[in-house]
Amino acid sequence: MPDIATYAAPRSLEQAVELLRSGAVTILAGGTDLMVQAQAGKAKFNPTLMNIRRIPELSGIVESGGVVRIGALTTVTDLLDSALIRQRFSALWQACDQFASDQIRNAATIGGNICNASPAGDTLVPLLVLDARVVLAGKPNGSVTRRTLPLAEFLLGPGRTARKPTELLEAVEIPVPPAGFVSAFFKFGTRPALDVAVIAISLGAVRNGRTLTGVRVGFGAVAPTPIRAPATEAILEGCTLDDATIAAAAAAAASEVHPISDVRASDWYRRELIGNMLRRMLDHVGNG
Amino acid sequence: MDALQKTKAEAGTKPASGDTLIGKRIPKKDAPEKASGRTRYIDDINVPGQLYGKILRSTQVHARIRAIDTDAARALPGVHAVITAADVPWQRPIGVSKDHLPLKSDRVRSPRDEVAAVAADSEEIAEAALKLIRVDYEPLPIVADAQEALKPGAPLLHGEDLVWTSPDGRSEVLHKASPGNVAMTFTYAQGDVVRGEAESAAVVEDIFQLHYVTHCCMGVSGVIAEFDASDNLLLHSNTQVPFLHKREFAEMLGIDPGRVRIIQPPIGGGFGSKLDIYPFEPIVIFLARATRRPVKLVYTREEEFLASPTRQPVLLKLRSGCRQDGTLTFRAVETVHDNGAYTSWGATTPFVMMQTFSSLYRVPNCDYRTLAVYTNNPYSGSFRGYGNLQATFAVEAHMDKLADAIGMDALEFRLKNAQDPGEVTPQGMHFNSCGFKDCLRTAAERSGYQQKRLAYRSKWNDGAVIRRGVGMASMLHVGGGAKIYQSDGCGTILKMDDFAHLTLITGASEIGQGSETVLAQLVCEELGLPLAAVSVVNSDTDITPWDVGVHASRTTFVAGNSALGAARKAKTKILAAAAAKLEQPPEALDLRGGFVIAKADGKRLIELSRLIRSLHFSDKAELVMTTHYYEPPSHHQDKEFKGDVSAAYSWATQVVEVEVDTQTGIVRLLNVTAAHDVGRVLNRLGIEGQIEGGVVMGQGYALTEELLVENGVVRNPNFRDYKLVTAPEIPEMDISFIESMDGEGPQGAKGVGEAPAICVAAAVANAIHNATGVRLYALPFTPENVYRALHGQAKPLTWNVAI
Amino acid sequence: MSATVEIAFTLNGVATQIQVPATLSTLEMLRVRLGLTGTKYGCGEGECGACTIRVDGLTLNSCLMFAADCDGRDVTTIEGLAATPTGEALKEAFTANGAVQCGFCTPGLVMQASHLLERHGHGHGHPGPEEIKRGIEGNLCRCTGYSKVIEAIAAVDVSAK
Repeated sequence: MPDIATYAAPRSLEQAVELLRSGAVTILAGGTDLMVQAQAGKAKFNPTLMNIRRIPELSGIVESGGVVRIGALTTVTDLLDSALIRQRFSALWQACDQFASDQIRNAATIGGNICNASPAGDTLVPLLVLDARVVLAGKPNGSVTRRTLPLAEFLLGPGRTARKPTELLEAVEIPVPPAGFVSAFFKFGTRPALDVAVIAISLGAVRNGRTLTGVRVGFGAVAPTPIRAPATEAILEGCTLDDATIAAAAAAAASEVHPISDVRASDWYRRELIGNMLRRMLDHVGNG
Repeated sequence: MDALQKTKAEAGTKPASGDTLIGKRIPKKDAPEKASGRTRYIDDINVPGQLYGKILRSTQVHARIRAIDTDAARALPGVHAVITAADVPWQRPIGVSKDHLPLKSDRVRSPRDEVAAVAADSEEIAEAALKLIRVDYEPLPIVADAQEALKPGAPLLHGEDLVWTSPDGRSEVLHKASPGNVAMTFTYAQGDVVRGEAESAAVVEDIFQLHYVTHCCMGVSGVIAEFDASDNLLLHSNTQVPFLHKREFAEMLGIDPGRVRIIQPPIGGGFGSKLDIYPFEPIVIFLARATRRPVKLVYTREEEFLASPTRQPVLLKLRSGCRQDGTLTFRAVETVHDNGAYTSWGATTPFVMMQTFSSLYRVPNCDYRTLAVYTNNPYSGSFRGYGNLQATFAVEAHMDKLADAIGMDALEFRLKNAQDPGEVTPQGMHFNSCGFKDCLRTAAERSGYQQKRLAYRSKWNDGAVIRRGVGMASMLHVGGGAKIYQSDGCGTILKMDDFAHLTLITGASEIGQGSETVLAQLVCEELGLPLAAVSVVNSDTDITPWDVGVHASRTTFVAGNSALGAARKAKTKILAAAAAKLEQPPEALDLRGGFVIAKADGKRLIELSRLIRSLHFSDKAELVMTTHYYEPPSHHQDKEFKGDVSAAYSWATQVVEVEVDTQTGIVRLLNVTAAHDVGRVLNRLGIEGQIEGGVVMGQGYALTEELLVENGVVRNPNFRDYKLVTAPEIPEMDISFIESMDGEGPQGAKGVGEAPAICVAAAVANAIHNATGVRLYALPFTPENVYRALHGQAKPLTWNVAI
Repeated sequence: MSATVEIAFTLNGVATQIQVPATLSTLEMLRVRLGLTGTKYGCGEGECGACTIRVDGLTLNSCLMFAADCDGRDVTTIEGLAATPTGEALKEAFTANGAVQCGFCTPGLVMQASHLLERHGHGHGHPGPEEIKRGIEGNLCRCTGYSKVIEAIAAVDVSAK
């Protein structure tokens, strides 16, 4: 286990970002990723360990001004229990429903899932497709300031984000989607629970009968970060979901991803799954 | 009357359901404690003054050890001892072939190899000390495949004799060099397979590949060793063979076996993982000796994956045939066993496999040859089923293939070849009680097997993405012990106190399977007492009589008969005393409900506890204390592996229904219909639990579990990527018990511990074929493996060995 | 040497104060520092559920929780639960239904079951088998095949809560 020089448990956002000014801080929220990494010797611990779980500003799911703001400390269970999330952001809700186990869901936070930036992070693919933005708080010049970044720009690589060491992820903001918007999520693991995704797919679009507009397609576990699939989206945009379109989209998806082979699956199989499962999801969405 | 008829007759005269404990649902005696978190497993036990042990394992797959520098580690505050092979020059090799030194001296042959060990004041300090040990390795070429290891010129893993030097300077060769990397070979033959093939209308030949899985006991391995003031050894060990280990540890230390005491704490799962001595136990004993303090060592879960024995992986070639009328004619089998770096029980799985090849269904001609081959891979131990899963996988694939080849219904084909009670197989097994056909018919009827198999097969060309199929497989396994050691017996001491409370002292270990409860049940049934009247003592070699160990599904049968023997002796003594007191013949009396009763009308004559006290506090001054050692009437096999090795045999048939998603390869196990010939159901609750647990273990073997070993390295030593079946995945289970009432079994019962895990994978393979028309020959049936097979991308299996 | 943290929390209903290294897990604190060995080490990675405890009413894997995070919270282990009517009812249901074999996973399952039953809601009868299976998907068992565990949880006498 790593050596920690200081442990802090700030009670306000202001206190937290003040502590972060030194930049030598490891942030602890639910601990479900951090403890595993600490035990495995995989995380580089900074001299200060800062537990942010007692900061009230980081909780809550609030809709205001066309945006839903989810506090970074919102647990996966909180998201599952939220009627707002279930109704508005079905793909995110579905991802939470397939997230590990009850014991993990009760502790894991959306902020932690985002900052851990795993290529297979369960909430990340739906968030990408929902045009989520992250809100980062810092105290560079003596007062608390914030900046907002689209999620796609925040996730840089496996375990790497655009968060500066002096910043704290405060919240995720998701714009309320237009009427007729539907979203879906699919994660492939060999078991219904406890599984790290072999591939993950998320879809979002405004559906009018069998025609989709504002199409978003996201993939997880097939690239260093979760990715959007522009070529696949282009095929679907404004089109009717007939067999030919679906087949073309599935083919585009399979060639748009560059998965690796690892202990969980081969690259060939991941590519097959992307094509087959996208087709299945589109059939499902098309049939209502 | 013969023994079988006598048991059946006795069963008939037992009072109808009401009074008897047999066949009832009896809760496990230790369940309340376990469900309250009060049970203390090895990791929960702490001995005053204990130190914590940790083992340094090799960072290389195959290498010479040039030097080990432990100076910095020894100097760390809180470290009491750092040992390497140089500190224990008198260490004896362990394991089935004695090719395995606990601390490696000149060479490491796998990443689990133990190079050094530390005892310290805390686990943290011990871990820190490990990091300070410097080992200078000279890498050697890696042998990662058994077929490669057999090639001429392959690096030899045990190319020199293992010479042991005693403390007084004597030299002894304890393991001879193994030329060509061959660790063990077996040859078995019955009849003439050439003639058998000539008589066949259909012949099929296939190669099968059975993979690495591991026990994954929820409680990780651990041990506590301490020497007392007179240098006697006390071991807190989860061994499943305490008496065998007692002798081996004594030999290892050069002391009298009487000076070794083993206490067995409640175990967090066994499944065969604790039937051999593994290096960590001798190493902790060495640390305890070196420090003169108790030393405790508990594995991490990663270490459990990396360093525990696995199930034996097998590359198997089977050629079998039948006549046009459906009778089996021959089986010719060859197997290659990856022995890993050192030999453990996995190498001896052919003992069990030959029983299946030669006697699962009637086969007049059989030829079986096998090689166990050294490699740098993990070594295998014994694991529930002990080779039978692997053998059955191949045999039952061919049962379907042969039936289809001659156009016979798959159930009828099996019934045609299934044995009947009274048969003696060419291998010399006497099938006294045999419910094989009943198993087949029951499982088939209750699952609708025949109709479903035809119906699903007829849909092969309908283009559906989600497809269903059914598959059947049966198994044969020993059910009355297995005479592989000098004795297959078990001892019992029974004492009754002045309040008619019994203490049952048995050599048989409880490993979670409920043997304790069953033994209490048998004894209480015999003596007419409630279960609450019995305490079972079973976990201290200083107290309990000898038992060979918990393996081969033997405990209910052997320990049960032993307990019954002691109980019957007690009953005879009690009734004789009652007869004298009541001036009646003992044959007119019986024991029921805590009373001596009149057999004729059930009238209560005298309370048992009063009778006992009157026997004790009288001029007779006698206590009721009896003993019995039961040796099953089985036989050691001769040099050709022939003989009636068990006192009884058990069968089961399982029919499974699967759903295959052809776009992902996911196979869902929908339901399992199982019919098990168990002789007689003793504890209905316990036996159901054994079957259900075994089926799910078989499900894991078939569908989800795989220890990924690449170039000698385990790639997934954790639960994230080694996938155990979880609750949402279990199938619906329909379980029937065929009570063939074995004449020798206690109350007619036979062993069942291993049976339910044995034929699941074989049945699933047949079901996937029924669903898709595609047969898979390699386990596990993970989604990717199934998908590849369905799309013509399965890796072809090759056989490049001449045995 | 690691920084230590002074924490104060309620453990099985008793006010508790202890100093712990900042990186110590709750599991280790319970088992080693506080001598409560009912909570088990199964994997240390949150994959097996043997270490399940309840914190502020929710179940968590104690192996993943930093002990320092117990500060100010309400922690219940199997020892605490076993002393309550719910714990009693679960003990009886697990025993009567044959849900215990080696028993190593049992404390974690009993803890998770207690949470499941509560979440299902008083007065709404029992969770059904599918809900129970979902609820215990994070608890691994190698002996029972889960079947009787599910039956036991479905059979718990809810009036005892």
